[in-house]
Amino acid sequence: MCDTCGCETRGVRTIDVNERLLASNSSTAEHNRQHFIARRTFAINLMGTPGAGKTALLEATIGRWRSNQRIAVVEGDQATARDSARIRSAGASAVQVETGLGCHLDAAQVHRALHGVELGEGDLLFIENVGNLVCPALFDLGEHLRVVVTSPTEGVDKPLKYPPMFRAADIVVLNKCDLLEHVPFQLEEWTSYVFATNPNATIIRTSALTGDGIDGWLREIEKRRSGLMMEKAG
Amino acid sequence: MHEVALARDLLKHVESRLDSDRIRVLRIDIAVGAAAGVIADSLRLAFDLLAVGTRAEGAEIFINSLPARSRCTECGTIFEFESLIGNCTECGRLGGELLSGSEITLRSIEVADV
Repeated sequence: MCDTCGCETRGVRTIDVNERLLASNSSTAEHNRQHFIARRTFAINLMGTPGAGKTALLEATIGRWRSNQRIAVVEGDQATARDSARIRSAGASAVQVETGLGCHLDAAQVHRALHGVELGEGDLLFIENVGNLVCPALFDLGEHLRVVVTSPTEGVDKPLKYPPMFRAADIVVLNKCDLLEHVPFQLEEWTSYVFATNPNATIIRTSALTGDGIDGWLREIEKRRSGLMMEKAG
Repeated sequence: MHEVALARDLLKHVESRLDSDRIRVLRIDIAVGAAAGVIADSLRLAFDLLAVGTRAEGAEIFINSLPARSRCTECGTIFEFESLIGNCTECGRLGGELLSGSEITLRSIEVADV
């Protein structure tokens, strides 16, 4: 009988598996997390729309960060090293990951990038993800905190259109708030949509351009960071 | 297209379960929560391309979509829905606290001797 077309199928059997997909990403993410804990590094996965101002928010953060601890950034983009150059100009160390066709960072890419990052005791690590409201939501990188950055020009309905991303966030930053008076963006409506997808989210309003809200953003990071360190110490 | 990454992972899981070179995969059953944000057709397309030349080439993928469950933040009702976000079946409020529905699980594979 024919061996190629499947007209005779022998020994058919079912193998039960019951394994979660992306488990290997999760175990690499856990490895990253242990690496961070060993160095007392607080790691933040910064996600969001392309053009929401993720890099500008980081520049403003680096400019105002008053601490003995330094800031390091892993920059993820499909192409170019423009963002890591911006971060270095702002005064922090940066490693660029170009994902090529990849639409998100995964834990293994971050793991490789970490070999190029010098992390001191208690340093703050930002992982700026590829600008995209879909794919990064699925991939644990080993971070302690997940932040989504969005802006008023994107309209109020993004939380409803991209629920997994907003659900994944611990903090939702509405950046470019200096534009609120110029665009038809209903803040209350947007806020209700954020809480509909994620009742536990913390919302922070910033303008990386004018500096408004940046102090509040820094306070929130410090609060989360010291909370984690206390937890680990306890 | 995170489905490419999912398909690559799926293929790795499937191949790790094949204990002989003389078998091929006929069918793959996976379960996907409604709130996971996985496009079934994209996953199939990506898998078909990645599986060329492997023992899983030509395998049919069956996706069992599981409803998601949320707890309403207004009235506390636990309700099921079959999309990325749903309305409470009691009070109609949109959204809530997601309890389940973002899992992606490889349930089983069907193989045959060649």
